[in-house]
Amino acid sequence: MIVSKKDIPNLLDKMIAEYEVIAPVKKDNFTVFKPVASGTDAVVGEGNTKLPAKELFFPQSEKLFSYSVTEEGTKLEAPMDDKKKVLFGVRPCDARSLKLLDNVFDNDKFQDPYYLTRRENTVMVGIGCNSPASTCFCTSVNSGPFDTSGLDLLLVDTGDAYVVELITEKGKALADQAGLTAASDADKTAAAAAKEAAVVTCQVNTDGLKAKLDVNFYDPIWERIHEKCLGCGACTYLCPTCHCFDIVDDAVDCTGCRVRNWDSCAFPLFTLHGSGHNPRTSNKERYRNRIMHKFKYFVDNFNEIGCVGCGRCIKNCPVNMDIRVVLENIRGSEARLDS
Amino acid sequence: MQAIAAQVKEAAKKLLEDKKVDLVVGFAEGSLPLRGTPFFARTPEEANQLTWNRGCENNLANFLRKREGKVAVVAKGCDVRSIVALTKENQIDRDNLYIIGVPCDGMVDRKKVGKLLGGKEVLEVVDQGDTIVLKGNGFAETAKLADLLHNSCIDCRYGNPVVYDELIGTLMPEKAEEDFAEIKAFEAKTTAERRAFMTEEFSKCIRCYACRNACPMCYCTECFVDCSQPEWIGKSAANVQDNILFQAVRVFHSAGRCADCGACERACPMGINLRLLTRKLVKDVKVLFNAEAGVSMDDKAAMATFAADDPEPFLVKE
Amino acid sequence: MMKNPYLPLPMKLVKNFTETEDKLIHTFTLQFLSEEDEKSFPYMPGQFAELCVFGKGEAPFGIASSPTEPGFLKFSVAKVGTVSTALHMMEEGSIVGVRGPLGNYYPVDQFKGKNVVIIGGGFAFTTLRSLATYMMHPDRRGDFGKITVIYGARNPGLLLYKDELAAWEASPDIDLITTVDREAEGWNGRVGFIPAVTGEVAPSAENAHAIICGPPVMIKFTMPVLEKLGFTPETTIMSLENRMKCGIGMCGRCNVGGKYVCKDGPIFTRAQLNELPNEY
Repeated sequence: MIVSKKDIPNLLDKMIAEYEVIAPVKKDNFTVFKPVASGTDAVVGEGNTKLPAKELFFPQSEKLFSYSVTEEGTKLEAPMDDKKKVLFGVRPCDARSLKLLDNVFDNDKFQDPYYLTRRENTVMVGIGCNSPASTCFCTSVNSGPFDTSGLDLLLVDTGDAYVVELITEKGKALADQAGLTAASDADKTAAAAAKEAAVVTCQVNTDGLKAKLDVNFYDPIWERIHEKCLGCGACTYLCPTCHCFDIVDDAVDCTGCRVRNWDSCAFPLFTLHGSGHNPRTSNKERYRNRIMHKFKYFVDNFNEIGCVGCGRCIKNCPVNMDIRVVLENIRGSEARLDS
Repeated sequence: MQAIAAQVKEAAKKLLEDKKVDLVVGFAEGSLPLRGTPFFARTPEEANQLTWNRGCENNLANFLRKREGKVAVVAKGCDVRSIVALTKENQIDRDNLYIIGVPCDGMVDRKKVGKLLGGKEVLEVVDQGDTIVLKGNGFAETAKLADLLHNSCIDCRYGNPVVYDELIGTLMPEKAEEDFAEIKAFEAKTTAERRAFMTEEFSKCIRCYACRNACPMCYCTECFVDCSQPEWIGKSAANVQDNILFQAVRVFHSAGRCADCGACERACPMGINLRLLTRKLVKDVKVLFNAEAGVSMDDKAAMATFAADDPEPFLVKE
Repeated sequence: MMKNPYLPLPMKLVKNFTETEDKLIHTFTLQFLSEEDEKSFPYMPGQFAELCVFGKGEAPFGIASSPTEPGFLKFSVAKVGTVSTALHMMEEGSIVGVRGPLGNYYPVDQFKGKNVVIIGGGFAFTTLRSLATYMMHPDRRGDFGKITVIYGARNPGLLLYKDELAAWEASPDIDLITTVDREAEGWNGRVGFIPAVTGEVAPSAENAHAIICGPPVMIKFTMPVLEKLGFTPETTIMSLENRMKCGIGMCGRCNVGGKYVCKDGPIFTRAQLNELPNEY
């Protein structure tokens, strides 16, 4: 199917009648995902949004339930966001990150109803990357600029129009509903050519990385790797696959709500025991955990690398801690089996 | 710049070869254009990776607190001011710190570059002195250096290190007194206008604490925002008032200690105008106590001294 | 509709009992409000739950009661943080939230036909009490061989569950050895640290499992004693504690290597822990 670029606002308006439509919108120097009231608010086709798509399914701050304990009894109310939504213009890396997070929020024992309800009710309309940025390394982490793994529909930019690929039934239903017209063979050829032309220049060699991480927990290399890291949470909050959170109460007396907030393994308090003991004493242990989590533990548990190569951490780190360099240093280091 | 980079390398190498220091904290070439990255050289070979360019924007004083052994640092004007302030707070032992001072006329603000290029990605940069050529896929634009510098660098009057053991490059002429024009403009607004501005600005905050952690003066073992008993402040970024309170307390805590290096604002991934707050306090300290943080080893920090004739306009009509 | 694992079950605090002489540990007895509630909480010894004081927050504690004791749950809680302090001050009759059961449990099926040695120190005795009570239930006692319990505290006043210990002392079903670190007035029992006492008692490792819970220093020095006695990494079982929040393997803070203490633990064999980094 196909939609011309100038018809995108119309298309979105049509969807807005049926769905909450979330799309990238301009904010200062960057774009963020926001529900749009009108199709013209959306800026489709720019680089990645500042904050990743995870915030739409796992918001930075979210009320889990409200409660009141009175003479009459205990009342608990859990809001469940089951609005029908369309996430329009998401990049394949962000979409893929949600596939990865599904493993966490729907694990072998428990389901997170807040995240999963949103996931279930959202149609993912992605847009492929004709010109990946220099910080993009999706192809090094089992993905690519036109990866459809987390998408229901994929738009391929062919200049004046987007060729729409139907990935799932959910996507097909949306496309039918929106009344998209069929793409001609010429359009399809143009889309194939656009895909062919898109080159991810940045490659991170991950060969042998996991094997190295399997044995290098106590390696002295960690003493050096974390050295310039400030221990802030910028990379974790902007990371599409970081999912750590804290649970706090916001209440007066016995009436209030339980809230979850994003938290970060970079913060010392994250693991601090009530006794004062901290299993991850210093920044070294905390930074090591971040790398291990993404490139070893996630692989051990879910057979996937916990990184989608979006490059946000590279672009936003205050001290230019570049994960590509870190991984290369680890891979190139002499892992010591005996240490 | 290249000449300075070479001299930095040589100076560091010599210090390490002569075993005068165990470590040189400086900058290496970063992984992105216009980006230096903090680097820790412990051998003369490692010192080869040290460099100097328009992207050496981090305040390296942040890496010098409570260090063991003899350490050297490659320090610009603002780094040195923070070093001086930290020395007075017993966080740095001046006897164990060797300062390789580098006069600095400013570092490039990548956000300004981004704005200039309208989001196009810079892949290569040619530093031509007063101009910079920004190259990317299918474009090359020449921009004036002055238009790309960080605001903190434009305002800075202490590009020349105030203390050093060795100087690389040449001292620059003194700049005129700063006028705090944007602070005065902010002060002139009504309370409602200021509140509206702050609310808008801090609705962007994601509480990643990059500002706090990038600040060399923010080193409390337990920051008040992290404290849970008592919980001074809500942890959720959704509450803008809490975000403002966090920054307000942080800024007050650094009054008279803040060297206005701008590290907080540079670290902020969300582009919040943090210097408006830090500079308000810089101005207040200057106006009230005629003091500036870290400009001299001899005077005491403004908030660490009491003089009978300290102005107290909030309390006493003068 | 999937079950919402974040919602606590309201339970009634029927007893807030000061367990130790220093008053720092209270034992809370919580009653299910309905049979339905009780059915929704099937648990086993070794599991934990998040206790929630409405208005303050929640924190994880091991379940001290045994599933063989119907109608209520018991928790022994040391006063350390916001939630535990609030709990200590709660009046009987108040409502407390309970979220669980969480985590895995002691592998009681593997203990069938085996001798079981339970070693506990200080206030870490809670889930061990659950385990011992479970195994001593008349319906189950025959499933297990000899049950030995070695339990120590700094002084007699800090031993938990004193009435029950007295009953166990008199019971032929269990061999109880209690010890305190130093001589104390009115104490006629053993004196000595857990590692030394374990060595003296020398329980046989033959056809046996050892379960050990206590402060890190106690564990550290008791491990070599158990090894010497012939307990293997496979037959030595521990319960870990790490800071937790969600209890369901999502919030990311309690991991030891790739394992979450809350979801994959808290019970691990020494053999399993040998495969993991020492981040606990």
